[in-house]
Amino acid sequence: MNKVCCGPGYASPIEAINAPREKLLYTIAIYTGTGIQKPDYLATVDVDPDSPTYSQVIHRLEMPGIGDELHHMGWNACSSCHDDSSMSRKYLILPGVRSNNLHIVDTATDPKAPRLYKVIEGAEIKSKADLSGPHTVHCLGSEIIISFLGNAKGEAPGGYLQLDKEFNIIGRWENSMGGIKFGYDFWYQPRHNVMVSSEWAAPNTFMPGFDLEEVGHLKYGRELHFWDFEKREPVESFYLGEDGLVPLEVKFHHNPDSTHGFCGAALSTNVIHWWKNSDGKWQWEKIIDIENEMHPEWPIPLPGVMSAILVSMDDKYLYLNNWLHGDMRQYDISDPHNPVLTGQVYMGGLLGKSPKVNGVEVAGGPQMFQLSLDGKRLYVTTSLFSTWDNQFYPDIREKGGVMLQIDCDPENGGMKVNPNFMINFGKEPNGPSRCHEARYPGGDCTSDIWL
Amino acid sequence: MTKYKVTITNRDNVEYEVDAKRPILDELRNQGVDLPYGCKYGGCITCAAKLTSGDVDQKRQVALNNWQLDNGYVILCVARAKSDITLEIGTESHYKLYRNPFLEPLKSYQLKADIASKEDI
Repeated sequence: MNKVCCGPGYASPIEAINAPREKLLYTIAIYTGTGIQKPDYLATVDVDPDSPTYSQVIHRLEMPGIGDELHHMGWNACSSCHDDSSMSRKYLILPGVRSNNLHIVDTATDPKAPRLYKVIEGAEIKSKADLSGPHTVHCLGSEIIISFLGNAKGEAPGGYLQLDKEFNIIGRWENSMGGIKFGYDFWYQPRHNVMVSSEWAAPNTFMPGFDLEEVGHLKYGRELHFWDFEKREPVESFYLGEDGLVPLEVKFHHNPDSTHGFCGAALSTNVIHWWKNSDGKWQWEKIIDIENEMHPEWPIPLPGVMSAILVSMDDKYLYLNNWLHGDMRQYDISDPHNPVLTGQVYMGGLLGKSPKVNGVEVAGGPQMFQLSLDGKRLYVTTSLFSTWDNQFYPDIREKGGVMLQIDCDPENGGMKVNPNFMINFGKEPNGPSRCHEARYPGGDCTSDIWL
Repeated sequence: MTKYKVTITNRDNVEYEVDAKRPILDELRNQGVDLPYGCKYGGCITCAAKLTSGDVDQKRQVALNNWQLDNGYVILCVARAKSDITLEIGTESHYKLYRNPFLEPLKSYQLKADIASKEDI
């Protein structure tokens, strides 16, 4: 029998899929690096088609200072606390990649108008934990861990900061970084006592911008790491080589019994799949390989740059982006060894295949995305990171980012841009800003983990 | 206390005095100049400005490659003035700071100092 429970999240992925549809969405928007001397902010977006303010930013919560570069976010609690009635999904944690500040935002008191609850100062994190360059936030039951990509001087590999549920710094989460050279994203699957982490680069390398030559000089990662989650130390690493240059986002299946997981290798523009075989050994293979494309006027073939991947709550579809080519793709991964391309749409990109969407010229390409719990609506934004945007898409300074929504068919596959939804961050009151990651108040496909 | 004069050419040549021992970013911000910044330790490039005359000590910066240094960029959050200097500030000075690596790849001598080859190789 299902246990009646009142903690955050859902008893299972199936319950999450059947939850009420999202009506609000939060996305961060940046001014860092844009030339506009204003703080980055958390935007509340109305995604309820029955609302008079549908497809609009309805609230903006500014951070206290400038220069944070808000990027990814995470919840204080998710379905991993579903059995704990003392917990609730109330706070969103917004790290500033450049400032090192962690902003704790209360989204529950008034979901339409989130308010700042607390700031953990970057300097305190540097002095207590010798960490900088925060990225991924996951909750671990009632505690929170955040990957940081560097030490206080911005040198790799960084490590993991642990906070208690009152947002006090406990210290470093990991007992050892082993031989890991770089940090980035991580995801864990508690029933298999495993965490998988990936590699971007040192903050001092990626923050000023991207250079291809630095990949050749091993300044960017190409390995995946498997951790003993309870012992908090890495136990096995896979060298992915040319197939796995710059492995960024890692996702396990949502099904807590599954050992299958995926990583998008951004520069190789490949999807790496891992799983545990019948002998209990971790295996990996490349399952998707997006070919480079030639730009008519450029000397070097253009990789897709797959900066993000996402697995639908039913574990049936994998979504990926090609930020430089300009397309979003949907693959049926019912057989994770043999993905089938089932949907593709273009928006922006450097190849000129869809410069205008819903009447707005798109600067940038599909970058970050969040899928509704029922798998039907994919919200996509176009900015990657201020300095990288400035290199590849200089016109994003004037045009700003956009948020689009793709209708996805979870039964038969397929994607198409919703013509009624477009948020043009180029028209924000303080001037063009750039939106990045998005979250729903009720949990989303990139946060919830089941114990 | 040694002081130097900073002239900002893209702000009507307005002049400020800065302490030679303190980061130029802090010195200018304390006098009301609105400047971008991010990490405040010389690693993230957000506060880059273009030095058009004079000399600074920026040995603590770790963000710039040789191409950017050759174009005169300085990282204001760690740079100290070593003489009277002239600067262009803000993102409007960044026209030679960013480069698309697939369109205009850097030469090996233009990389960051720790991986660059010598120019004459």
